[in-house]
Amino acid sequence: MEVLRLHNLQKSFGSVRALKSASFTLNEGEVVALLGDNGAGKSTLIKAISGVFPVDRGDIYVRGLKVSIRSTRGAMDLGIETIHQDTSLAPDLSIARNLFLGREPVNLKWLGVFAPLDLAKLRDAAAALLKRVGISKKLDADALVSTLSGGERQSIAISRAMQFAAKVIILDEPTNNLGVEETHGVLRFVKEMRAAGHSVLLITHNIHHVFQVADRIIVMRRGEIVAEQTVADTDLLTVESIITGADMSALLKETRAK
Amino acid sequence: MTIAAEQEMPRSKRRSSLIRSPQFSSLVILIVLLAVFAIADGNFLSPLNISNMMAFLPELGIIALGMTLLLTAGEFDLSVGAVFGLAPVVVMLLVQNGGFDIGIALLAGLLLCIAIGAVNGLIVTKIGISSFLVTLSMLLVVRGAALYITQGFPLKSWDQPGFFVTLLAGSFNIGTFRFYTSLWWFIGLSLLAIYVLHYAKLGNWISAIGSNRNAAVARGVPADAVKVWLFILTSVLAGLAGMISAFRISAASPVAGTGYELEVIAMVVVGGTALTGGRGTILGTIVGALMLRSIRNGIVLIGVPGLAYNIFVGVIILAMLILHALLQKNAARS
Repeated sequence: MEVLRLHNLQKSFGSVRALKSASFTLNEGEVVALLGDNGAGKSTLIKAISGVFPVDRGDIYVRGLKVSIRSTRGAMDLGIETIHQDTSLAPDLSIARNLFLGREPVNLKWLGVFAPLDLAKLRDAAAALLKRVGISKKLDADALVSTLSGGERQSIAISRAMQFAAKVIILDEPTNNLGVEETHGVLRFVKEMRAAGHSVLLITHNIHHVFQVADRIIVMRRGEIVAEQTVADTDLLTVESIITGADMSALLKETRAK
Repeated sequence: MTIAAEQEMPRSKRRSSLIRSPQFSSLVILIVLLAVFAIADGNFLSPLNISNMMAFLPELGIIALGMTLLLTAGEFDLSVGAVFGLAPVVVMLLVQNGGFDIGIALLAGLLLCIAIGAVNGLIVTKIGISSFLVTLSMLLVVRGAALYITQGFPLKSWDQPGFFVTLLAGSFNIGTFRFYTSLWWFIGLSLLAIYVLHYAKLGNWISAIGSNRNAAVARGVPADAVKVWLFILTSVLAGLAGMISAFRISAASPVAGTGYELEVIAMVVVGGTALTGGRGTILGTIVGALMLRSIRNGIVLIGVPGLAYNIFVGVIILAMLILHALLQKNAARS
């Protein structure tokens, strides 16, 4: 079943056409990898979906309904959670406070931003969540995020997205700066998300990771989607050559010129 | 995941982290300082001296509360000392030269503070200039305005007894101690600040903004709006403190509050709030305010020459900051 559909998204920054045209569909319980070299338009695309800035043209459909995403909050309310490289958590806050940042459980709701946090609920919900994702034994919900390793932080950010029953989880380079074991942990998490019915859009540089977890691969180059294939129908070398294709031909021209 | 290396956090570790927390070490040093001064000079703990200290303490302390929240959100305000001077000057000019009612004049003074804070906040957040530069310029503008509209002369402040004088600068005796109503303001505002920073939803946002602004924004926290309101709050508290001070000494001077911005920031960081944002403690700020006040007072009492005493104040602040940095490093390593 279709969860997210993009139709002809376009975005320019001044005279730079960062996103020329992007259309694709993400289905329920599917892991789609978005690949491409630096400057291919991956970041622009996910920022548009996650509400960082509006697109110039094109439509976004969530579960078949046309939506307009005007803010990060708006994207979250539609069930689209984005986990950015290392900017997702506040290191000086506890795990529990990070998990509920922006959606804090409170008492006396009518007090607005001055409403008291429901600390008991905050701690219990955090502990329950950590337990569900299988890391409760090792992590204290009151521990500061600054005391955690990169992999632990990544799993906290991912569990936060899962907790709010996000339909679509966008992972932006989730394995950057992680050790081998931590990377495996994150990839395992991605598989668990899929098993739980979430749809995942995985942005990464590492093609090997893609082949371990993704169902489908989308390759972007110069602001356009240039290839879309199921993992079963392709192989590592083919994908690699699609990604670097532009550079190869440029290189070829250069050598010929000489 | 390689979390196996992390052990479960035992209760004893949590207790030791409390002892190693910055506000705790500040408190220990405050107690040591008080003990040293008390032993060195018997008059330090006399009712008269304590009453004196308590008269000054709230005026800087109130500004420090606002500054703590602002620093926790990752910004700071150098214009507070100038606002402290300008607000009462404007109020008294409106009363004496404009013939306005004192209540209306006070309201106008507070509105002016709101405007100054809003301009600070909007320039910092919307145009993206660092708060250091924006509020440094604002310091000059505000101080200059105070000097210009008074032509440099201090004004006689409102000294007719009445509701507002009692509200801002009334005094009362408890035994042989003489306290001002400003102490109630300080206590009330402190409790409010503790609540907001540590127990309210807003406090979670403030810490998150200072700790990692992008993360907060990505979670839908209106970071810019929160910062603008904190600039307004800090400015209003500075103006309020200025009015309290002017009413207490019955004079509004255009140069009042000169250098207060640095003294206030010193109180806040000595208390353990991080200058870089994210980590703020109101209790620490109260300890810091008490510490700087008692250092200034105690140093004079034990006979350090008046002209030399800034040396001591500076050295003690430096020592405090070094201690915090070492504790921080230690905590990170463990």
